[in-house]
Amino acid sequence: MLSRVADSLFWLSRYMERSDGILRMLKINYATSQDVMNDFTWRPVIKIFTGLNNNHLVELENNSREVIRYMLINKENHNSVINIITLARENARSVQDHINKDLWQCLNEYYHTIKDPSIERLLQRDDPVSVLDILIKQGMLYYGTTEITMERGEGRSFMSIGKYLERAIQSIDILDTKIGSVDTSADLLSDTSYLKHLLLSIGGYELYLKKYRKGIEAANVVEQVVFNNDFPRSVLYAINQLYRYFDRLNADLSTNQNQKLLFMIGKLQSHVKYSSVDGIYEEGLHNYLAHLKKELFGVGNALGEHYFAYA
Amino acid sequence: MNNTSTFESYLVKNNIYDEMFDSNNEIRGHYKKIIEYLSSESVENLNKKEDLAKSLFMRQGITFTVYNSGEGIEKIFPFDMIPRIITENEWQYIEKGIKQRLKALNLFLKDVYTNQFILKDEIVPTEIVYSCPHFTREMHDVNVPYDIYVHIAGIDLIRDNDGTFYVLEDNLRTPSGVSYMLENREITKRLFPDILPLCKVRSVTGYPSILHKNLMSLSPRAIANPTVVLLSPGVYNSAYFEHTTLARLMGVELVEGRDLVVHNHNVYMKTTNGLQQIDVIYRRVDDEFIDPLTFNPNSILGIAGLMSAYRKGNVAIVNAIGNGVADDKAIYAYVPDMIKYYLNEEPILKNVPTFQLSNPDEREYVFANMNKLVIKKTNESGGYGMLMGFSATEKEIEEYKLEILKDTRQFIAQPTINLSSAPCYMHGKLQPRRIDLRPFALVGPNGIEIVPGGLTRVALREGSLVVNSSQGGGSKDTWVLASS
Repeated sequence: MLSRVADSLFWLSRYMERSDGILRMLKINYATSQDVMNDFTWRPVIKIFTGLNNNHLVELENNSREVIRYMLINKENHNSVINIITLARENARSVQDHINKDLWQCLNEYYHTIKDPSIERLLQRDDPVSVLDILIKQGMLYYGTTEITMERGEGRSFMSIGKYLERAIQSIDILDTKIGSVDTSADLLSDTSYLKHLLLSIGGYELYLKKYRKGIEAANVVEQVVFNNDFPRSVLYAINQLYRYFDRLNADLSTNQNQKLLFMIGKLQSHVKYSSVDGIYEEGLHNYLAHLKKELFGVGNALGEHYFAYA
Repeated sequence: MNNTSTFESYLVKNNIYDEMFDSNNEIRGHYKKIIEYLSSESVENLNKKEDLAKSLFMRQGITFTVYNSGEGIEKIFPFDMIPRIITENEWQYIEKGIKQRLKALNLFLKDVYTNQFILKDEIVPTEIVYSCPHFTREMHDVNVPYDIYVHIAGIDLIRDNDGTFYVLEDNLRTPSGVSYMLENREITKRLFPDILPLCKVRSVTGYPSILHKNLMSLSPRAIANPTVVLLSPGVYNSAYFEHTTLARLMGVELVEGRDLVVHNHNVYMKTTNGLQQIDVIYRRVDDEFIDPLTFNPNSILGIAGLMSAYRKGNVAIVNAIGNGVADDKAIYAYVPDMIKYYLNEEPILKNVPTFQLSNPDEREYVFANMNKLVIKKTNESGGYGMLMGFSATEKEIEEYKLEILKDTRQFIAQPTINLSSAPCYMHGKLQPRRIDLRPFALVGPNGIEIVPGGLTRVALREGSLVVNSSQGGGSKDTWVLASS
């Protein structure tokens, strides 16, 4: 397939994964913000998903409605859902002959839904969760349509690679911002509602309850989010999938196999697979996560150089 | 009929051929069934259908983007839901006429780029060909596969007062609109369920496969699976939707100039699996922008070196380069002579009488009769640069005359042709609006095929004669009926 098309499919898929992550994060955080007595802070969410500087962050961090508006429909915010969906749709538009008509219509509808003035009205006066639900549903429609209609070939491999790369980075960011980069002496981490809320925001709470019977502990949360291969948002799961689809891509491309990239991803996979929670804590959670992130960025760059160079 | 009010205000103007009502104000036979169907629907229901049509276009992304203060606004090309209906007899006549014309035009292009017999025999004046900006010297003696220059034509037809068909323009370069022919039909299927088979409307869905078959047959390499691509200027082009639709329906790669590269006079596309050689390019990029080494050096839409690959015969380009010399409005006047010269036949479809302003006698006549004529620039399309003499002010006419005198070759004049009217659904009522017709003809090694249908464009403003989408025009589904 054309390098440009592969590039568009990869980014289309990354953007969709990112928008889903943002929406779910916002939904849980909003619910939590209604539950706390003191001022609820959106600081970690804003830090993970936007490039806002400190002054603005301070202005915004306690105003739930404003944060949601900023992260959903503010056009100045490069990572707002409206901008991401616009980009995803632009990418889809230029590869319409490679995605099914259903998938194109699904993204086109998502775009028109979020552009609709009624969204802004709802955000101003009504329940923000209804808005988030509308958008999350559009995203699920996208996932389902992709699953049902995408040809099982190169195009889907590039989309899957984009999706899992984005997911791995997201999970790492969330874990790092919420646990890795906070002062370990603070009693924040012994606050179970803090950790519960982290798990909820990436859809891992129920799984945690089933697996760990002794209440919520930071080390167990780290274990689940990094190592649990049954947890679809875990780092290991995402990297395993990344390897799987890259391997498949290599098989599809007869004359342009890339052993170097396979090696990079394989090495990263082994690195995660053969670490342990104790080892991570010895190395320092933040350092460990920062290393993984750097490796994942390296994979992204290598993909760009090898497959997407066309201009 | 429980909805007669829909028709009450339908007043056919004198001296205009109406597609639905005959001169005795009776509904023509071929419109009866659809009118019966529409009459049984309430105005609310019809309005609902109109909304459904709009949302279907929007949802499918059949839109073009208007850029306004940095913000892209999605617009749909206005669609009128009442179909334009063509009888079997009318269609046979149109089909024969277009085939004849295209045969002659292809021969003219071959001739003008090789031996130039038609110039030597003084049928077409040499100076008019050589002064045409689209006469492309680089095309001289280029061997094009099967001597076909025009593979896809969108010849515009109009009907005068008495219903006679005239050719208004031969679009032989990169005619657009065929996706609307296809999509309008899909929308009709949703709006008026079951009515198409009831009326015995012929299908238009064969278009992409005929085109694909023709494109495959042009491959310079004798291989089983030649690589055919559709070259688009990119997402910002107003016809981008059409490019994606055709690429998808034919199953060919949609490429942009930046995806292609010329190496050793071969054209390749840059794929994830390395370079892949291209055999046939269906291009929707104009000549001027297609190769910065040969034509406009500032173009970033084209492929450097493409012309050299083309001249060597390593790639087929559809339509051929340099076709503009055959659809120039000044050369248009000579098409009937070409038909007689090359085919020894009488032209079936009429030309609109055309005055050359570079000819002093004709210019004198035109200047004396400006208010009866339409003056057009020979190389503008889309309804730009026109002067409608009957509605222009004294001052506009004088200014236009000065403009003409600067470069007389650039202008032609034609009598105002009245354009037929057809019923359109306007705010709950049927109203007559002026229309034209663009059937799409495909020329391949095995002959000329015309899908029974086309794009009917409609001037949505009352009294307007300009159907171009850039000037407030819309479109209709176009039905060609099978013999009953």
